Amino acid sequence: MIRLENVSKYYPTRYGPKYVLKNIQIDIPDDRDVALMGVNGAGKSTLMRLIGGVDFPSEGKIVSDRFISWPLALSSGFQGNMTGRENVRFICRIHGVRDTAEIEEFVKSFSELGEAFELPVSGYSSGMRSKYSFAVSMGFDFDTYLIDEIMAVGDESFKKKCEKAISEKRESSNIILVSHSMSTIRKHCNAAILLAYGRAEFYESVDRAIFRYQSL
Amino acid sequence: MKARSAFAIQKDVIFAIFVREMNSRFGAYTFGNVWLVLEPLLMMVMFILIFGLRGRGEFGYVDPPIFVFAAFLPFKILWQLTMRRNMGALQGAKSLMGFRQVRLFDVFLTRSLMEGGLFIVVGVILGIGLYWIGFNPMPRDPLLVLSYGVILWFFASAMGILFCMIGQFAKEVEKVLNMVQMPLLFLSAVFFPMTMVPEPYRSWLAWNPLVHAMELVREAWFPVYISPVADISYLASWAIVAMALAMATYRLSWQKVLAI
Repeated sequence: MIRLENVSKYYPTRYGPKYVLKNIQIDIPDDRDVALMGVNGAGKSTLMRLIGGVDFPSEGKIVSDRFISWPLALSSGFQGNMTGRENVRFICRIHGVRDTAEIEEFVKSFSELGEAFELPVSGYSSGMRSKYSFAVSMGFDFDTYLIDEIMAVGDESFKKKCEKAISEKRESSNIILVSHSMSTIRKHCNAAILLAYGRAEFYESVDRAIFRYQSL
Repeated sequence: MKARSAFAIQKDVIFAIFVREMNSRFGAYTFGNVWLVLEPLLMMVMFILIFGLRGRGEFGYVDPPIFVFAAFLPFKILWQLTMRRNMGALQGAKSLMGFRQVRLFDVFLTRSLMEGGLFIVVGVILGIGLYWIGFNPMPRDPLLVLSYGVILWFFASAMGILFCMIGQFAKEVEKVLNMVQMPLLFLSAVFFPMTMVPEPYRSWLAWNPLVHAMELVREAWFPVYISPVADISYLASWAIVAMALAMATYRLSWQKVLAI
């Protein structure tokens, strides 16, 4: 269970605090794969960052006993001047994995980067970057994966590979997915959270959520 | 995934940041990590040559190179580098904050520990070099020197953290510090002992806690030097107050700082 208790998040601006999320009260059950939906700026990525523990609610708190991945977004935290391999090693180390060779090789083959894996991450194209960060997170066994629009940039064959990997992961763990593609959501999720007007609603049925989203 | 204790996580993170700092800091240079030691080493050698080998013998109780060694090494590494590296911790490590295990505090801790280690490594290498060309680089009381060094290092870390946190809200901090950098070298009695400074300037300079650090190290290092101003409780109070302020500032604003 990931429980959000009265979570609010605002950013101070010169016009005063700008609320992105306001008093959100949601339980995300352990057996659901959840889609986060909402228009641009509704707070999807912010909510992801809050759940991922890399940003913090201004009010309220988030309680969970699960191993949650870092938020997998295009801009996620890789050190640009370090190579793909060095970044993998760093992430292994902070997750307490001492023997990093296995994950390194997994990432190298899964991401299909080849030589680029030994080159600095700052030189990657956005497609390569999405392949890379997706591959890195698949190297670890989390309970919940936070996937933020990462599949939208990859090419067709890699998309297929991602979807296969996600389906396999879903047998033992869950995902929380941000996507603007309704087909992706339908394929991978069996619940949804719709963010609108600073509020959040939990839907047991994806179709109902999509209907609501499209009639916003 | 297996649950780890908070301590185990912190240990893993500090090790990871340490390796990453080693890789990223001088990774692009031809000699790579050698620069980590080489940079302060060259600086020291230069200062020893410029100030030390003039051989004016102005301080009868110690060879000039040793005098520079004993003062500039702690000042350069334990004060300047430790403070600077802590101050720049956030810019250098923002991309690490995309992982929940990594906190800004870990970066501070790692960088402080690294500079402390660097002090010892560079000190030993230079000491061997000085011994080789015929000087006696051994302090009179090494343990005492080391413990004064620890206080100075603690003070520098505290100031670094404090400036880093304040600097996020007022960018001017860095500008002012850059301006103060050079005068501070002379106001901290690095290249002269306080016995050379006449009153009333002596008591004015003695307001600067760094002067006390320099003088205390000198007392413990040289066989016969007795400082007219050195006061350990003054330096220690500065260190403790600075660290308390730094920790309070950090605790109050670390989440805000990450959002900027």
